[in-house]
Amino acid sequence: MSYLTTEKMILAVKVAMFSFISLFASDVFAQLTAKANHDHITVDSFYHGGTVSVSGVSDPGTELIIKVASEDVHQTLRKKGKVGGLLWMTVGDLNVEHVPNFYEVFSTKKLTDLLSKDEMEKYSIGFPALQKHASMNVSTEEEKSKWFDEFAKFKADSNLYSASAGNITLAQKDGKQNYYILTEWPFQAPPGDYTVTVYAVKDGKVTETATSNVMVEQVGIVKALATMAKNNGALYGIISIMAALGAGFGVGLVFRKSDGAH
Amino acid sequence: MMFLYLPVALTSINIFIPIGLGLAVGLLSGLFGVGGGFLMTPLLIMLGIPATVAAATDSNQIVAASTSGTYAHWRVGNVDFKMGLYLLAGGFVGGLLGVEGIKILRAMGNADFVIKITYVLMLGIVGTYMFVESLQSMRKKTSSTVPVRKENKIDAFLKSLPLQTEFEKSGVTHSVLVPIFLGCLVGILAAIMGVGGGFLMVPIMFYILRMPMHVIVGTSLFQILFTCIEVTFLQSYTNHTVDFTLAVLLLVGSTIGAQAGAVLGRKLKGEQLKILLAIIVLVVTVKIVFELTLSPSLLLSQAGGH
Repeated sequence: MSYLTTEKMILAVKVAMFSFISLFASDVFAQLTAKANHDHITVDSFYHGGTVSVSGVSDPGTELIIKVASEDVHQTLRKKGKVGGLLWMTVGDLNVEHVPNFYEVFSTKKLTDLLSKDEMEKYSIGFPALQKHASMNVSTEEEKSKWFDEFAKFKADSNLYSASAGNITLAQKDGKQNYYILTEWPFQAPPGDYTVTVYAVKDGKVTETATSNVMVEQVGIVKALATMAKNNGALYGIISIMAALGAGFGVGLVFRKSDGAH
Repeated sequence: MMFLYLPVALTSINIFIPIGLGLAVGLLSGLFGVGGGFLMTPLLIMLGIPATVAAATDSNQIVAASTSGTYAHWRVGNVDFKMGLYLLAGGFVGGLLGVEGIKILRAMGNADFVIKITYVLMLGIVGTYMFVESLQSMRKKTSSTVPVRKENKIDAFLKSLPLQTEFEKSGVTHSVLVPIFLGCLVGILAAIMGVGGGFLMVPIMFYILRMPMHVIVGTSLFQILFTCIEVTFLQSYTNHTVDFTLAVLLLVGSTIGAQAGAVLGRKLKGEQLKILLAIIVLVVTVKIVFELTLSPSLLLSQAGGH
């Protein structure tokens, strides 16, 4: 009985201490928060990309990294190479796994000034870390490095990969640090769910993370056409053919009438 | 600027670009009786459309352009339906054989190299031959008013074949086996090279079948129409790669372009049409040669398509 009482007492002291520390901490530290303000992007017929803003609160003086990424997917691309030392043509497929289709990273300073290589790899921050995680159908590390660079270049060309520093706005207020970033959301980013992860960084280490989500969804005619093309290919094909035949005849008739008028 | 989102290509496009492209390629289609896929598909890829979607959607818009063009040529009696149907029958068999052929080539390895080189050589030879021949006959015409076509060994062989029939619209007599065989040959090559084959069919109709140039254009379009209906359906059904929105934008331009091409074609002589087509084929050849020899800015591209 006395044993139980002692245990209860220890527990009570622990709870009291934790409450006290937490209370004290809330005065000095701000828990990292993240909110994507345009978190539901609807893709309609006139969609041409959008903007997404991420804001939140962090500890004063912490550096921040914001990563926006889709889920990892298997991607197959065609490799071009020189054949016979003269002609550029397709020389095979490049299969890339364990990397996202969409990846953007923003930071208050250059990534290499903020994090150690190990930390970057641990949290998949930056292209070298992505390369480390990626698996490809190549035989040597040298080839992997070469083809990952090409892969990142290809993705950047389609506005699906980017990394930039110095574009997060910070403001100190009431002992807290407010951050904010407004980014262009590329129309090339396909429909799906995207995760926004905010990393608070101090002394080369990630001290805290917070996440939010962005959903890109097709709506209206765009959704109807995409769904039909995918799920009812035969009907979609027939409609496409009938529309083309109708347009061809229609324009032909219009021209015949205009010929007759002259 | 006015942008539309393409549900299957998953990209957004300025609507004036595909309409303009459609107009230009439709004009060529109505003028020369080619589908224009050898121009349109690479241009769409350059605009950020995935290769598979570009090729499939182009087939869909060619259905509209060739309907418009066939209709325009039919109105002035320039479509030989009989010849077109025999070529089509051959083309259908050739397409099936070509698909098998490409599997064998791929299994042998280095298929892309062989295909690309064959394509460039074929374009170059056809373009150069047409160019030189058209130039010579244009010169001859200025000196003598009556063009005379000498009968050669090929003509003699073709006449010796069984099942001879008259193609009234074209004013020629051939064995039915000839257009079926030639249609099959073009079908095989087109399937292997991943192109429609109009640039091959037009010279074959002129130099081997001896058809008049204006009937060739209408008949070629008639044949292309059916080939592209089949391709559009198969692409929609099996690969889900036809983008209806993009096809509509393209066909707005191409149907009008095809009509304008047909009108313009009536004002040009057969020789002039031939030499213009030869120039376009040669320009495309040079473009492909540059693509093959200059270092590309990106060493990766999306899988699918040609």
